[in-house]
Amino acid sequence: MTTPMLEIRDLRVQVEDREILKGVNLVLPKGEVHAIMGRNGSGKSTLSYALAGREGYEITGGEVLVDGENILEMEPDERASAGLFLAFQYPIEIPGVATMTFLKAAINAQRKARGEGELSTPDFMRAVKDAGQTLNINSDMLKRALNVGFSGGEKKRAEILQMALLQPKLCILDETDSGLDIDALKVVSEGVNALRNGERSMLVITHYQRLLNYIVPDVVHVFSDGRIVESGDKSLALQLEARGYAEFDETAA
Amino acid sequence: MQVPVRLGPAETALIEQLNSVGATASAERLAAAGLPTRRVESYHYTDLKMLLKAVPPLAAEAPAGAPALNVPGAYRLMIANGAPQASGTAPAGVIVGKAEGSALSTRDDVLVRLNAALARESLSLTLEGSVDPVIQIDRRTEGSAAHAASSARIFVADDASATILETYSGSAEAHLTNHATYVALGRNARLTHISVDLSDAKATHFATSEYHLAEGAQLRTLVIHAGSALARSQIFARFAGSGAHADFTGLNLVSDGQHSDVTLDVSHAVPHTTSQELFKAIARGRSKAVFQGRIVVARDAQKTDAKMMAQGLMLSDEAEILAKPELEIYADDVVCGHGSTCGQLNEDWLFYLMSRGIPRAEAETMLVRGFLEELLDPITHEALHEALRAVVDEWLVGAR
Repeated sequence: MTTPMLEIRDLRVQVEDREILKGVNLVLPKGEVHAIMGRNGSGKSTLSYALAGREGYEITGGEVLVDGENILEMEPDERASAGLFLAFQYPIEIPGVATMTFLKAAINAQRKARGEGELSTPDFMRAVKDAGQTLNINSDMLKRALNVGFSGGEKKRAEILQMALLQPKLCILDETDSGLDIDALKVVSEGVNALRNGERSMLVITHYQRLLNYIVPDVVHVFSDGRIVESGDKSLALQLEARGYAEFDETAA
Repeated sequence: MQVPVRLGPAETALIEQLNSVGATASAERLAAAGLPTRRVESYHYTDLKMLLKAVPPLAAEAPAGAPALNVPGAYRLMIANGAPQASGTAPAGVIVGKAEGSALSTRDDVLVRLNAALARESLSLTLEGSVDPVIQIDRRTEGSAAHAASSARIFVADDASATILETYSGSAEAHLTNHATYVALGRNARLTHISVDLSDAKATHFATSEYHLAEGAQLRTLVIHAGSALARSQIFARFAGSGAHADFTGLNLVSDGQHSDVTLDVSHAVPHTTSQELFKAIARGRSKAVFQGRIVVARDAQKTDAKMMAQGLMLSDEAEILAKPELEIYADDVVCGHGSTCGQLNEDWLFYLMSRGIPRAEAETMLVRGFLEELLDPITHEALHEALRAVVDEWLVGAR
């Protein structure tokens, strides 16, 4: 059996002394896209932050393996260099840090961590231009400070641009559809779909089925009260949309 | 009843020095009042009586070394141990001369009085037309530890434009320096005036700048403290003609054991003038950064628009950043505001950068640079911008 891209074993996480994740188990094979659906407050975003290594998310039990490697002891930057990428639900605005400076620093930091040489400036510029084109990202946006003054749609497109440039093995998309109108949703989804391949895995977190019309998952997991309570194929998402989350709450209880 | 002031060794030495140059009135004044303590409001956070432990002997002439900051293409003028030095051929529009005594106006301030008594000569600079190269006034204190006072008087003629960089540095000794700059901007004159203290970490640096803005004048100032154990820059500005605008900016960079103070006093004396004040501080180790900013709007100065902001970034738990913005408004049709923020590096920002693979130390440096960007960004002269960035980067590297 090949090593899965992501394996979560009985993961328990506390935030400010409150247990939010209560034993999450998940196996995401290479090349697959899994969706996690759940209502607000079920712990979906906690899962994404815990995987990315945000401070304040205390792991009280369990294991997380990315491509067979335990990541829970790693700093966030080490996890990124190991191939994990989190597309933020609310990308952070950082005044004073130019978008291009940031992109170059991120790419080169990951290359350095993997023992590769720095990307030359012309190669970098070309890569950004190519990736930007498919996502409708113009040079004006790239001249601004990181995410500062970006609209909701621009921020989400900028996240996918970063994903395209950093070429992660494992992408976690946290509510990537929130705040997007239908046109922006299409652009973002096309950007994501262009990155799908047999080696790259994705975990798509959402509470609307809508996104899954565009990014079609191989497996859908239902999240409730800090754990996965049901898994199935993409029809599970439609079922949820029609009937709501209530019946799964009972499964959890 | 007047309680007699107990004089410390620094005060005694200063009184002797004042007497030795015949400034008996200033000597008597200092003997009666002593150096200002925290009970004097303008020195509340920089108690000179406590902070000034010793005063080295008055400076003798000394050979000058290399400039502390090299800006390619700049025209360099030097003041060594208080004395303006001969300079090469001046570029077009620059007239260099000397004048007797200090250039500062009389003011009830101990540092101004000391400069007035001890600065024997002022470098005098007249700028006409569009002056192309950056003019660097390189003030150096060389040789063994010395108390040096220096002065410069700058007149930017009507419609003229120029960029002046003042640098302060010297030998690695516990110098005490007291510098003065008087700047008058003529009608529609444009000036960028940058001051950078790069004195040795044992030194004490005092600098007073005075600005006078005529009608339509445009001024940008930037003061950077990146050296000295104790530094205080005082800025006094007066808007005397309508349509004038100034951006006053500054940066206190303090490390373990350092105390840096920028004290600003802006007077909008006539209608229709505008100013923006932006002062930042970064403090690490056990250090203290002080900003005091006062904007006074006179009764007749209607339509004044002034906004003052102080921002501090603390990189250690032992660092102290003190900010005291004040508005004193006597007119009733003005737009004035002030704000002050202080904090540590934003953890959410750090996490975002790190989540993209950037290691913590590099991410911190990016954020610190980002914090300073607003100050360096408006300095569009490329070589000057690079030189200032290098000053900041060197300070940051010292952090590790």
